[in-house]
Amino acid sequence: MRISYDWRLSRLINDEGMVIDEIYWTSDVTVPNLVRRLLLLQKGRMSPEARILYERFDDVEVCPEGHLDDINWPPYDEDQQKMFDEAAIKMTKLKIAESSGDLDKRLDMLVSSANEIRSTWTTSESRCIEWVGLFLTEINLDTNRKEIINSIVKSESISSAANLMETTQPLFSPSEVEWKSLKKHCELAVDLTQRMRQHEDAIRILTLDYMPTLSSLIGPLNASKLLVLAGSRERLARMPSGSLQVLGAHAAMAAHRKGASPPKHGSILFSLPQVGKSPRWVRGKVARFIAGKASIATRIDHFGGIPWGDKEISKINSDIEKIISKFPKPPIRK
Amino acid sequence: MKRKIISLGWGVRKEGRNIWTRNAVKGISVRKERRKKDGKNEWRIWDPTKSKIAASLLRTKFDPAKIIPQPGNDCLYLGSSTGGTVSHIHDCVCGSGNHHKGQIIAVDISSRMMRELVKLSEIRPGIVPVLADARDIAQISPFIYKKVDWIHQDLSISDQAKTFVKIAESFLKNNGIGLLSLKGASERAADGSLEIKFEKAEEILMNSNLNVIEKIDLKGLEEQHVLFYCKMKCID
Ligand SMILES: C[S@@+](CC[C@H](N)C(=O)[O-])C[C@H]1O[C@@H](n2cnc3c(N)ncnc32)[C@H](O)[C@@H]1O
Repeated sequence: MRISYDWRLSRLINDEGMVIDEIYWTSDVTVPNLVRRLLLLQKGRMSPEARILYERFDDVEVCPEGHLDDINWPPYDEDQQKMFDEAAIKMTKLKIAESSGDLDKRLDMLVSSANEIRSTWTTSESRCIEWVGLFLTEINLDTNRKEIINSIVKSESISSAANLMETTQPLFSPSEVEWKSLKKHCELAVDLTQRMRQHEDAIRILTLDYMPTLSSLIGPLNASKLLVLAGSRERLARMPSGSLQVLGAHAAMAAHRKGASPPKHGSILFSLPQVGKSPRWVRGKVARFIAGKASIATRIDHFGGIPWGDKEISKINSDIEKIISKFPKPPIRK
Repeated sequence: MKRKIISLGWGVRKEGRNIWTRNAVKGISVRKERRKKDGKNEWRIWDPTKSKIAASLLRTKFDPAKIIPQPGNDCLYLGSSTGGTVSHIHDCVCGSGNHHKGQIIAVDISSRMMRELVKLSEIRPGIVPVLADARDIAQISPFIYKKVDWIHQDLSISDQAKTFVKIAESFLKNNGIGLLSLKGASERAADGSLEIKFEKAEEILMNSNLNVIEKIDLKGLEEQHVLFYCKMKCID
């Protein structure tokens, strides 16, 4: 026996397809209540009617999508259709309003904690590698760092790890407790990578939504970093593009104040391949161009313009290519 | 000289290389597209460089009229964005004031996009805006009480094909039309070149309850895009 339901009714159906019991939603049927119901169902919960049937009978299967396969499921009547249409719009508006609640702060938490995880990971990872290198003296500690850590995590002793990595057996082995600590430390490094990935996924989802245009220009992770450096989307949108260009260049800016030449780009723009992988003499030009576009993109996102699509982005990319190919040789110093 | 007009079904026609839909909301464009009068009707041009469905209508080797839904159909549109394509589907499935009594459940995960879509659905009855993650069936099923006639999925995510199969197997009628737009670049680079990617997707579709009728290459209109034109198998 199974229970099928939608927002209007719930049915208990036996294996022959017969309706054993049926409850309709009858009290307080209003649009706001329907919105509440739809929100509940969207979270994968049962409708109140389905719950009653569920508690009334033992040994039943609950099929949230079961009604779709039931040819006898009643169609919407005109009132139900009208109510449903109205509720869908109300509900979506509600969700839109909710989703914009202080995204600056939420992204700041995510990006800052992701940075913390990354720096912990960097420390632990190099500690693990050096530690393993103490015992496995012949492996290359610069290439295959990931493989070294994974092998330790998978092994039960240092010598089986050596086998796994196809390297010579260690001359000295760690004691049992020492090995356990080493292994745990490697597990920590792996765990941190996974957590970093999880954080980045969350950042991507929020940023794509909050700054769609800037995300399509420089990628959601970079967009979120600029946002956090600027303090808020509002600030980033109001910032002159020259300041945006050098976001993340604290040290160079400090030096500039003391008389050094100004930085050409901050760390975020530099991490873009179009800037960082270009010849050094065009980096500043490309960075300035992208900063200008990024500034416009942020304004579109912040002040509610229509986000850019693939067309606009590929136009910008080809303009960047043009800038780069215009200066194939370093300038001659005068 | 007057160009030949070919009807592609109710409210959709092809004139030379252009496709037009009969505007359900006279006097208003959705994406600043061109409009023109024809007697008491008004038509809106459907730009094939901005809509993968319009592009497919021009590129298919089969009868393009079979790709678009019929008036009064129930449709599910995943990745509706701000509703450009949705509005043209609405022109033919619902028509002015939804006199065909059709329905388009339009799903997108982005609240920014949904803001525009809600505005559209308020002037175009029959469009149901749903802010949800298309990868999660439970977030969509409360809005669907019976299986639909037509599905289009156009999501900027990896694993598009898998999601599409899951969605179609849950929500698409026997013999219903399922269209999957696939973009080369949005999937991870590690998955290999464009071709391999499209082949992988095709394989996933082949191993499902869908029949792939045609893999439509949209080159020249939507670069690096293909649209898989599928039909749900009859299963009882
Ligand atoms: C390429 S656009 C679709 C364009 C649209 N079909 C048109 O022709 O106007 C892709 C859309 O998918 C949405 N999207 C991405 N991931 C999603 C998900 N998991 N669930 C729902 N929508 C998603 C994005 O917000 C974006 O609006």
